[in-house]
Amino acid sequence: MDILLDSFISAILLLKSLDAELYAIVFVSLKVASSSTFVASFIGIPTGFAIAFKEFPGKRTVITILNTLLALPTVVVGLFVYTFISRRGIFGPLDLLYTQKAIIVGQVILIIPIVTTFTIAAISQIDDRYRKTAMTLGATTLQTAVVIFREGRFGIMAAVIASFGRVIAEVGISMMLGGNAKGFTRTMTTAMALEYDKGEFILAVALGVILLTISFTVNLFFNYLQGRARV
Amino acid sequence: MLFGIKNLTKVYGGRKVLDIPELSLEKGKVYGLLGPNGSGKTTLLEILSFLLPPTTGEIVYDSRKVDFSETFLRGLRTEVVMVEQQPILFTTSVYKNVEFGLKVRKKPKEYRKKIIHEVLDLVGMRGFAEASAHRLSSGETQRVAIARALACSPKVIMFDEPTSNVDIENQIAIEGILRDINVQKGISVILATHNRIQATKLSDSIIFLFNGKPASSIYENIFSGSVRRDGDGNTYCLIHDKVRLVVRTDKTGYVKISVNPKMIKVFPAQDIPSGDHGFVGRVIQLTDEGGDVRALVDIGIPISVLLGKEEYKQAPILTGERVALVCPPESIEVM
Repeated sequence: MDILLDSFISAILLLKSLDAELYAIVFVSLKVASSSTFVASFIGIPTGFAIAFKEFPGKRTVITILNTLLALPTVVVGLFVYTFISRRGIFGPLDLLYTQKAIIVGQVILIIPIVTTFTIAAISQIDDRYRKTAMTLGATTLQTAVVIFREGRFGIMAAVIASFGRVIAEVGISMMLGGNAKGFTRTMTTAMALEYDKGEFILAVALGVILLTISFTVNLFFNYLQGRARV
Repeated sequence: MLFGIKNLTKVYGGRKVLDIPELSLEKGKVYGLLGPNGSGKTTLLEILSFLLPPTTGEIVYDSRKVDFSETFLRGLRTEVVMVEQQPILFTTSVYKNVEFGLKVRKKPKEYRKKIIHEVLDLVGMRGFAEASAHRLSSGETQRVAIARALACSPKVIMFDEPTSNVDIENQIAIEGILRDINVQKGISVILATHNRIQATKLSDSIIFLFNGKPASSIYENIFSGSVRRDGDGNTYCLIHDKVRLVVRTDKTGYVKISVNPKMIKVFPAQDIPSGDHGFVGRVIQLTDEGGDVRALVDIGIPISVLLGKEEYKQAPILTGERVALVCPPESIEVM
């Protein structure tokens, strides 16, 4: 219990001290996680919507593959992206390795299946009467799709929340592709791993407390948005 | 002519759910589409609303042969609107729900506002304009759905069992709205229902549908049962393991039967005739039906009996009274 209490106090003290390094870590974490969530949502939501909305051969196979990719380990994604962006990789000349962009690329790959499958689930659950109603009221296919999207927005928002939660908490990709460079690619999770390696358990747990607080705040914000949208 | 149908079929999973060789509907009328559950009413309405293509057949709408391509259908859907049995409202306000059809038709804001208030007035829901659509009762939802359809200024409105899920107050209100739509606005109405009284009351013309096919008259008192033969060589249909109705058929096993309510005879309970055709039951409902009297009698199964005016005068019955019924074999059709 002492370690938890000490960590909690340390977390408060760290936040109160306005420690520039801590704020840099938090800022990098939020920036990278938000960017990857945004990019993955941009790709995953329309893809999931199209898969759910349209009937095509092999649809079930595609969904099964996406479901399998939900279990993708971060280390595998890290290794996979590494082979492309390392100096000898195809994208080596772009000099992406150990940059925030590299982390974003890896995290996008990690969470696209999450956004896509959650969107598929959200759209598939929408009552077919919405489609028929929009159509009988004279809507075009695109307008009908917008109606279904609107009705599925709570589920889609859940997809975004889950994806953000996944990337803000992951460590494998950030460590392998970001390199944990202080003030540049050091995120909360990589900093926690480092502090643990150094034996600084209290500081590591304090960072964990801050991470959870941020996640909680972000979720509160999304909840507020969902509540507002639910007329 | 509003609709002309030729050799229309709809097949689901190898089962033909609709088979209409020929049917024509006139403009400006109210048509009642009457049939029991599963008779194909909703499928026919969806096809006529251009939401569902038929498997085979030809449809002519307003002198235009319907080509079931999406572009063509979208144009027709702006003239024909369907209100479902359990309509669903979009997750927003009542006002925005009604506004939807006007928005997709790109009507200006001021025009939209005027129409929305007009149609909400017509269905008695003006006071609910800003209410959340999902917080309405089923009767209110049905009325908003009607207003939403009306806002589109359609030429035809299809109603699928519009009063099956609403209380009596809303039922009366909705029936009034249906009449007004046709009389005041000149909109053609096709109303699917399994309620014979409602169909008779509201429609200019009734189309009977049974097992996906047009029928010459409505089959009533439809029951499922199994045909068996007893030791004396009598053939009977056993319904719900309770009621034995003597039938004339070569069929065996599971069947559906229809008992003609006009051919059932009613007697005082003590006068029950001997033999297999008589039952004793309790009168649970009496309804006036254009001078005739319809009695619903519980004989183990609820059975409807239609008594002529004179017949009723000679032997009046009361609700709650025990009566004897005789269903002669010729009153029963095995389907």
